[in-house]
Amino acid sequence: MIDVQELTKQYAGRTAVNNISFRVEPGEIVGFLGPNGAGKSTTMRILSGYMPATSGRVNVAGFDVFQQSIQVRQSVGYMPEMAPLYTDMKVKEYLRFRAELKGLSGMAMRRRIGEVMELTGVTDMRKRLIGNLSKGYRQRVALADALVHKPKLLILDEPTNGLDPVQIRHVRDLLRSLKSKHTVLLSTHILHEVEQTCDRVVMIHQGRIRANDTPANLTRQLRSTTLLHLELEGTGNLAEKLSAIAAVRKATEEELLVHPWRRFTLRVEPDHDVRDEVMELAMKEKWRIREMHRQLPTLEDVFVELSMNAGTPTDIPTHVL
Amino acid sequence: MRIFWILLKKELHSFFVSPVAYVVLALVMVLNGFAFRAALAVLENAPSEGSIVSWTFHAMWFWLSYFFIFPLLTMRLFAEEKKMGTLETLFTAPVRAWQVVGSKYLAAVIVYCVLWLPSLINFKFAHWITAGQVELPAGAMGGAYLILVVMGMFNLAVGCFASSLTANQIVAAIISFTLSLLHFLMGIFIMVVGRKISDTIVDIVNYFAATEHIRIFTAGLIDSRPIIYYLTMSLLFLSFTHHVVEFRRWRP
Repeated sequence: MIDVQELTKQYAGRTAVNNISFRVEPGEIVGFLGPNGAGKSTTMRILSGYMPATSGRVNVAGFDVFQQSIQVRQSVGYMPEMAPLYTDMKVKEYLRFRAELKGLSGMAMRRRIGEVMELTGVTDMRKRLIGNLSKGYRQRVALADALVHKPKLLILDEPTNGLDPVQIRHVRDLLRSLKSKHTVLLSTHILHEVEQTCDRVVMIHQGRIRANDTPANLTRQLRSTTLLHLELEGTGNLAEKLSAIAAVRKATEEELLVHPWRRFTLRVEPDHDVRDEVMELAMKEKWRIREMHRQLPTLEDVFVELSMNAGTPTDIPTHVL
Repeated sequence: MRIFWILLKKELHSFFVSPVAYVVLALVMVLNGFAFRAALAVLENAPSEGSIVSWTFHAMWFWLSYFFIFPLLTMRLFAEEKKMGTLETLFTAPVRAWQVVGSKYLAAVIVYCVLWLPSLINFKFAHWITAGQVELPAGAMGGAYLILVVMGMFNLAVGCFASSLTANQIVAAIISFTLSLLHFLMGIFIMVVGRKISDTIVDIVNYFAATEHIRIFTAGLIDSRPIIYYLTMSLLFLSFTHHVVEFRRWRP
């Protein structure tokens, strides 16, 4: 659906997007993740045909965005960042204008407008002036606009920006329900959202792609170690004994709890689960365990790690890149 | 073409939903009233060669309204969309730049034409109330409104261009006002220093001068040269606008 090859975009003296390549297959929901100013919006603007690239080739829905801009724009539903809308129009009026622009007409158009208003939950607001709507509703109107012509590809720039948690969940459910009919590329800097919604994540930072994988793979392959929290009763140097387990890098004793309970944090090699070994050791040593909790790294950790190591791409493990 | 009409409808809608069209209309009506009143005063005092039409469009009041119209009508066309970010939504729909530029321009021209309708009523009313003593020569009427429309088309194209240059409406208004005023001042320049410079220069400048065009046309002389001049200049400024709009999108 999307095929980006060696795309570069330079603004006067500044490189916003630096030689990136990626593909999005039909039916996928792909999250475009990166801190602010990473080049997400620029890439999306190029994909939607709003802006030209400095170099590289972009193919969307089988059309070249530079040569066949009109066809590309017909098959893409684009929602810009901040959802700019004509504030002097009413919701339904606006959707009608947009639907007409995108080639719909007559009964089919009226039915479709009703559908998208229902889908995005703005039916009750159809006679309100857009200028008087709250941020959340404007966002939904913009989403309805992106959906109205049943585009093959939806490009959504921060679709949940400025929404409250309930609305975010609503949008997330909506996106998942669209999956069968549309391919979706969405950008966000909220990691939780990507983990919940997307099949695949393209991480971009300072104009370069840092990672391109499923959310699960990304977190699993994360260099960061898994943590294991333990609370147990026993005497002697427990930390040393715990450290003796093969996959445990380091065991540290935390602050003292109410005697005789003691608390430990184990740093474990990625992709290892040492809970069984800890259990066996405890039985052998006759310790009593009252809590054991494994903390997996989240996508957030990947993200922070990648952002921190921004300047030095060599720092990033090859399997993530 | 379908897209063009949809865009035109939307542009006209935003003119008449916002107070812009009404404020400008009120302003033009008041100033035109003064211009008309001044013309009546001229005719009242002494017999005159000029008709009421020609005196109205020579009044200072008329020129005052004339210069306010163009910045007010055109300043928001592109500047507002840029500021609000809606240009991005607009240009990611399957529309072409000429459709956007053309529809915005035509909407402004239509609103501009509507602005002059009340002045038509003034003339008709004076004619009717004096039982025909205030004459309305057909040539002067036709000529006056024809030149008003083509001069307007030129100035609106200039305004359109000014608006495409910036995201700030005030800046757009000032650019368009300055360009229109410079064009007008050429005629005034000749009026002031005409006797001291060679006839060739006077002739050349008069060819561009709005005051001269108004003088000729309100006398009932319909000259094709100014019409062609204004129409081609409109096209030139519209193509500039088109270039600016396209250039922003297709910068290498």
